Amino acid sequence: MHPLRNLTIKSFHEGLMTKKFSALEATQAFFEHIKESDKSIGAYLSLNEENAIKESEKVDLALAKGENLGLLAGVPLAIKDNILIKNLPATAGSRSLEGYLASYDAGVIKKLKSEKAIFLGKANLDEFAMGSSTENSGFHLTRNPHDRERVPGGSSGGSVAAVASDQAVAALGSDTGGSVRQPAGFCGVVGLKATYGSVSRSGLIAMASSLDQIGPITKTVGDAAVLFKAIAGGDQMDSTNAGFNYGDELLSLDLQKIRNLRVGVPDEYFADGLEEEVKVALQRTIEDLKGLKITFKKISLPHTKYALSVYYVIMPAEVSSNLARFDGIRYSRIKGSDVGVSNVKDIYFKHRGDGFGAETKRRVILGTFVLSSGYYDAYYEKAQRVRSLIKRDFDEAFKQVDVILTPVSPTRAFKIGEKVSDPLSMYLSDILTIPANLAGLPAISIPVRTGEPYSRDNLPIGFQLIGRHFREADILGLGQMYEKMNEGNIKTKPG
Amino acid sequence: MASPINKKTLKHLAELARVELLGKEEERIFKDLQKILDHFEELKELDTENVSPMTGGTSLSNIFRGDEKRGTTNLGAGAHAFPKEKKGFLEIPPVFESDE
Repeated sequence: MHPLRNLTIKSFHEGLMTKKFSALEATQAFFEHIKESDKSIGAYLSLNEENAIKESEKVDLALAKGENLGLLAGVPLAIKDNILIKNLPATAGSRSLEGYLASYDAGVIKKLKSEKAIFLGKANLDEFAMGSSTENSGFHLTRNPHDRERVPGGSSGGSVAAVASDQAVAALGSDTGGSVRQPAGFCGVVGLKATYGSVSRSGLIAMASSLDQIGPITKTVGDAAVLFKAIAGGDQMDSTNAGFNYGDELLSLDLQKIRNLRVGVPDEYFADGLEEEVKVALQRTIEDLKGLKITFKKISLPHTKYALSVYYVIMPAEVSSNLARFDGIRYSRIKGSDVGVSNVKDIYFKHRGDGFGAETKRRVILGTFVLSSGYYDAYYEKAQRVRSLIKRDFDEAFKQVDVILTPVSPTRAFKIGEKVSDPLSMYLSDILTIPANLAGLPAISIPVRTGEPYSRDNLPIGFQLIGRHFREADILGLGQMYEKMNEGNIKTKPG
Repeated sequence: MASPINKKTLKHLAELARVELLGKEEERIFKDLQKILDHFEELKELDTENVSPMTGGTSLSNIFRGDEKRGTTNLGAGAHAFPKEKKGFLEIPPVFESDE
């Protein structure tokens, strides 16, 4: 059995400091486990073994010299393959980027390198982070560690499955419409999408720039706070980075302040289509929190039902612009003579025709349409206006409450192949996570821990806490309080 | 409402988007787009005349760094992976074709 099972960032740090294991031993044990376990999970696209071993030796050396090490030193992480690590592959799950090596470090990677974290490898995802099941990866499927016949969710399915099967202590994903939170919910781990502008997007292969945020995937809410604190903050390489300084509040809980938070429950998130198990689990979570004397209030977010349409206009529009850079010239090894064409335009067509999957093509074409002359006002601008209404709903709600509690997705993990032929039904699995991206709000997905959340089918269920802009401390605080209450129930599933 | 997309517009869009559609992709994407655009019809229910569009992830404005010369640039990065390279630049076929 994997000797490092159920390790959190915090317990890893303790183990390292008390010499239960060295950073090198830990890293080696993780690679051993990955080589065995990932055959049936498929969480990783590429491994970074040689470098990881070298870096972990440096951590041990620093420790021997008595240097002060932070909580993330030596911690083995999985990184979603749309985040650049210099000289390592970065495919974004697309065949079109096969063979590309990143030429610089993403902003978040620079920060994690200075913390001496260890990168085990690059994790699988839906192509360019577009999908809700990781089935759109150009390379292979990732399976849900709780049930191998089911999807892990997506698009950060590889990162999440790695954490849920102890193939990494924690991971980074990216969240454009729920791509960190929805898979975290499906696999029973914690996923945070922070306030838009709080984490640098430099070196994240852009999907939809007004929505994308990199976020931590961890086993506990406490760990999410640690990893978020490490990656948040200023970066001059991202013009949308607010340079917000979070201070110590994130890591030191003020229980009294948290007890005074008012929590809103929006009717619209408990509408038709919510699976019975999800409804029951959410009810139980609310009861648990009421037991801590947290005040609840019913609220309304009336434009919720339009969020999906708004998202599927705005996101493909931004996708079609962002993906224009993949022209077969700049990030690839394509040779005109290899594909039988001799001019730049045909290389462009051929490269994208062969290299992009169906979902990517669908979104690029849809985005081109909604931005095209004659349709721009009716679709793109209309969606931007409704986006304002959705944000306004939240502004109104946050006058009455501090945190909003909802389910993460309407159902638990679905079967592989179940939704792949019907894009609209696939899109619906993000319906409860999309609004936070549209409004730029921080939101976290936390596994329901009490009772028997894994009842029928043994599948995890998540709940979501949405906070005010830059108030990650509220949702992380309330989440940690919930977690403290259920300390005995925190565990991952065997990989 | 009649769908705003027909096969001819789809072909034109694919051309504009520089995407080659292979095999059954054209048929499939055509059907999917009609369904998706149908779904968007619900947006028309809302009166948004007096609502201004939200153009970014927050209402904060962009932050710019000083326009100063920095120590290093990324010039030439990735060029080694390209079939033909000259002093850090990529050599590609002609972009414009001659009319002759």
